[in-house]
Amino acid sequence: MTIRLSLRKRFRKLIIANSKGFSSVIGTTFMVLVMMFLSTAVFMWTLSQNTVYNEAVRARNQEEADRSNENVVALSGNYSVSGDNVTVKVVLKNAGSLAVQIINLWVLDTDPSNRRYTNKSLSLNMTPGQVLSFVDSGLLTVTIPGANANHTFASWFVTARGNTIPLEKEQAIIVAQLAQGIGSLALDFSAFRYFKYATSTRLANYSDGIKSFNVPSRTDIAFGAVLTNLDPSKQTITLNLYSQVWLYFPKAPGQSIVFYIVNVASNGTITTPYSSITIAFGETKLIVFASDAAGSLTRVSISSSVENLPCALNLLLLGTIGTRDYGQNIPFVSLYVYKP
Amino acid sequence: MKLKGDECLDMDLRRLWKRIRERRAVSVVVSNVILTSAAIAVSFVVLFWAQYRSSAYNEQYSEAMDADIARLKERLAFEYVFYNQSGSSLSVYLMNCGTIDNVTVRTVYVKDAAGALIQVSSSITLMQFNGTQIADNDLDRGEEGYFVLSSLSLATDAGYSLRVVTGRGSTFDHTFIA
Repeated sequence: MTIRLSLRKRFRKLIIANSKGFSSVIGTTFMVLVMMFLSTAVFMWTLSQNTVYNEAVRARNQEEADRSNENVVALSGNYSVSGDNVTVKVVLKNAGSLAVQIINLWVLDTDPSNRRYTNKSLSLNMTPGQVLSFVDSGLLTVTIPGANANHTFASWFVTARGNTIPLEKEQAIIVAQLAQGIGSLALDFSAFRYFKYATSTRLANYSDGIKSFNVPSRTDIAFGAVLTNLDPSKQTITLNLYSQVWLYFPKAPGQSIVFYIVNVASNGTITTPYSSITIAFGETKLIVFASDAAGSLTRVSISSSVENLPCALNLLLLGTIGTRDYGQNIPFVSLYVYKP
Repeated sequence: MKLKGDECLDMDLRRLWKRIRERRAVSVVVSNVILTSAAIAVSFVVLFWAQYRSSAYNEQYSEAMDADIARLKERLAFEYVFYNQSGSSLSVYLMNCGTIDNVTVRTVYVKDAAGALIQVSSSITLMQFNGTQIADNDLDRGEEGYFVLSSLSLATDAGYSLRVVTGRGSTFDHTFIA
């Protein structure tokens, strides 16, 4: 008997002829398959879950990076107060590399007597490098009851990513030095206007008026000047009844016309007698000059003798600043009188 | 010859009968079948049990993972915190700047600069900035809202910290001066 034959016989005896333990083999194989199947499934599923989690972490990190890379600065900040309305004058610059959406403006009156705040919803989208100027805009106007130009304000913008952009106030010394040189009341040149009358005492189209430097002769008119108190010492200015607009004509020596200051109700009606008008620091007001007589209303028209002539207009402002007397002459406006 | 053939047939039948009647080998086969069936049955039981357990684990893991991811997506920005001295109330203005909706405020902790707990508030009502109550009392993505903590006695010009815990368990801290 060869060795090969002997091995074959032994194999047959062990595996085929002897079936004892066969069930254990099947059971074990089955068990191993089950465990492999389950563990593989669980492993793969856990791996996919971890991938999802890692993706969420990556997204979160990206958001954090974007948030910290936002770089919008609010420059040349200033406040203009008119009644309860506070207008934020600011230049916004997106100095970062990301587009930014500004969604909110907060303004806080920090004066201890009037600690109030308000916010205004915005939707300002700024691309990288973009500059938005709100220096001459009324868009950023909020209402704070009890606000006063003497109060100190703080404000900040909020971006959609949750960053806050504080307003950096303009160097006040520039305004202060200017005010020291030419006076504390500043004229808004571009807002100069004149009015015609709708009735004997009511101005037409008040408060818009007619924004022009060409005025008609032989027509009763009134002038409107927008003045802002920029007093460096932040005192309130009171204008008395002698404040006036003075027109003089270089080509018609001796010809001059005066329009005295008047009070005007919100519907455009001129009220008499005149009561003093106050302009608090930082406050901007439209002042109307309409009367030929101080303290009352005597309507004025420009005579036909100066038709088709240019004239210079001066604002002669008199009153008090704080407890001291005040007088200021603001020139700069020129008019042309046309024949209607 | 015919007789001989009949005898052969009888002999074959007897052998067959003898084989059928022979039970020594049958018992081994039956026992093997039974054992194998039992092993397979037990294996299936183990399979179903393990599958049940693993699916329960999957579910728990999935819930935990979803909760973690939801927490990661939450972000609240503090727009402004204002303390009203006369009314002893603290107004906290928030914005949901995260990437998930339905952010609720579960608990708010107010601590002083030394870390001493001053107030814990759990019943928080969220209001819109215009003063109306937020109907679902949560902040969706980009939504702004505020809540007021009343009966809070804070010293003016002193620093305090605020911790807001959301319904999902995220915490957001902020410091303010009363």
